[in-house]
Amino acid sequence: MSNLIIRDLVKTYGKTEVLHAINLEVQAGEFVVFVGPSGCGKSTTLRLVAGLEEVTSGEIEISGRVVNNLEPKDRDIAMVFQNYAIYPHMTVRKNIGFGLRASKMPRAEKDKRIEEIAEILGMTDLLSRKPNQLSGGQRQRVAIGRAMVRDPAVFLFDEPLSNLDAQLRTQMRLEIKKLHQRVGATIVFVTHDQVEAMTMADRIVIMKDGHIQQIGTPAQVYHTPANAFVAGFIGSPSMNMLSGEVSDGRVTLDGGGTLDMPGLPGGTRRITLGVRPDDLHPVDGHGLIQGPVTVREPLGHETLIYVGAGSGEIIAKADGRTPPPVGANVSLGAAPENVHLFDPETGAALR
Amino acid sequence: MYRNLSIRQKQIVWAWAFLAIPVVFYVVIRFYPTGNAMVISFQNWNLLGDRTFAGWENYRKLWHDEVFWQVFRNTFVYLILGTPISLVISFLLAYHLDKTRFMHGFLRMLYFLPFMTSAVAMAWVWRWFYQPVPIGLFNNFLAEFGIPQIAFLRSTTNALPAILAPAIWAGLGFQIIIFMAGLRAIPQSYYEAARIDGVSNFTQLFEITIPLLKPTIVFLVVFSSIGFLRIFDQVFNMTTGDPGGPLNTTKPLVLMIYQTAFTDFDMGYASAQTVVLFLILLLVSLFQLYLLRDR
Repeated sequence: MSNLIIRDLVKTYGKTEVLHAINLEVQAGEFVVFVGPSGCGKSTTLRLVAGLEEVTSGEIEISGRVVNNLEPKDRDIAMVFQNYAIYPHMTVRKNIGFGLRASKMPRAEKDKRIEEIAEILGMTDLLSRKPNQLSGGQRQRVAIGRAMVRDPAVFLFDEPLSNLDAQLRTQMRLEIKKLHQRVGATIVFVTHDQVEAMTMADRIVIMKDGHIQQIGTPAQVYHTPANAFVAGFIGSPSMNMLSGEVSDGRVTLDGGGTLDMPGLPGGTRRITLGVRPDDLHPVDGHGLIQGPVTVREPLGHETLIYVGAGSGEIIAKADGRTPPPVGANVSLGAAPENVHLFDPETGAALR
Repeated sequence: MYRNLSIRQKQIVWAWAFLAIPVVFYVVIRFYPTGNAMVISFQNWNLLGDRTFAGWENYRKLWHDEVFWQVFRNTFVYLILGTPISLVISFLLAYHLDKTRFMHGFLRMLYFLPFMTSAVAMAWVWRWFYQPVPIGLFNNFLAEFGIPQIAFLRSTTNALPAILAPAIWAGLGFQIIIFMAGLRAIPQSYYEAARIDGVSNFTQLFEITIPLLKPTIVFLVVFSSIGFLRIFDQVFNMTTGDPGGPLNTTKPLVLMIYQTAFTDFDMGYASAQTVVLFLILLLVSLFQLYLLRDR
């Protein structure tokens, strides 16, 4: 059963259309992450679902009801904001309870519910504290608690981790994922960080300029990106993009390197070849790319090497213990099955 | 010698070098006259003759002065009516102005205009408003509808509110600007979260907006209280000819001090009144800060 369905959703501000007919179905209990560069429309989509912005055209359906004209409070959703939006003058208990302000539940039941949530989040001892006595991660949890207390059909998270430091972010990421596994809630999560998207999502929705680029599991978007944008956006360091030509199953790069790729359709055409640094290694003999090592970035178990090829710098991975020295000429090669080909004009994946 | 100092000592030297200007300014312009006023309050002095020691005589006279107690009451009526009324009005205006997109800047400028206008000029304009038929605006308006005239400035009951009104009006612009700055500082997501939680506008106002505006409210309460306790321009200019209104019903403490000093030339007595005003201001401000402190 789908918990959230978005059909041909369009949003315009004045004359500018910022969302162009988005379609998405989120299953009950699914963790969906919207990811994309800033200004891609991911937060707008979330705010439309929440009811904080008016839909221009299209439909939003939550638990089988079209909610386009419903007030946010009637949509059966809860939202966690980037700045948490927890009230500094209220205790944790009041903040979590604020989500129940409007409900007709008897007082004792509300208290019980607040305590249950605090228990789940491990905040029972902190209930009487004010937000300024809490750490960033604890404040985050209060915000999640306030959303959970309402037991909504869909949770909406608007970049909730971007205000935390790197270490805490990793930790909260894990906590949210565990919470999802335990509670089984439907979550729509917006982030600009592809690592967050990869690590947490059941499915990732990659957006750019108000269009969905690809919807898929983390493995799908990583291994079979739909286009060059997705290929470059997911994965770190970014995929290397090289232009060249394919002809009769053989790729010839503009720099001169060649690669045999059996199973390609016949004919000659221009292509953009994409290969991830993880799949590109120094090889003996004649590889795909030749050039001098300009910079080394040792990461311990492996070393990133930047190789000056004709058209720019290429990033590859070398051994952690015996990387080639700076200045050495290296030859980089990749297995044909790890190479992606894109149309140079449209960016669409060819294979 | 300077080069042998430690970094910390050098910082202190520079700090004092820069502090010297305000320190000198405050000592000469503020502290010396204040101290001097306190000394004079224990003396008899007519501004030209010799100063003679009077002990507590000036304060004793003040305690038994009926006019002083009338003035004392007036001053507190200005405060007790003026501060809450002006704060409520300016908050309501700021609250709605903050939500208005239409000609926002222009409207804000309009509300700020009275604050930039000379208090004397405004007092005289309002004084004209209050005149009897056929001059006064308000009474002419009432006469149109056959309503009896109101003796705004010549009545013992109406005169004080009639003078308070322009005083409140003059301060609104400043208070609105400060309130709007306070409202702007509240993150929008607080209201969005409340909307999602289905909380009514009324609850949002009383549970979110007003508590979060507390620092702004504290500032404005103290600031406007001090303003009303020191009210002078409006009263002086609207009641020239009979300064202090009929039977002293509009006379505030500052006007009494002015008259004692520059009409009666009793500087000692005026200084004693000044010291009392200073103590009132101090106590009222401390009391308000205590009431509105962060618990």
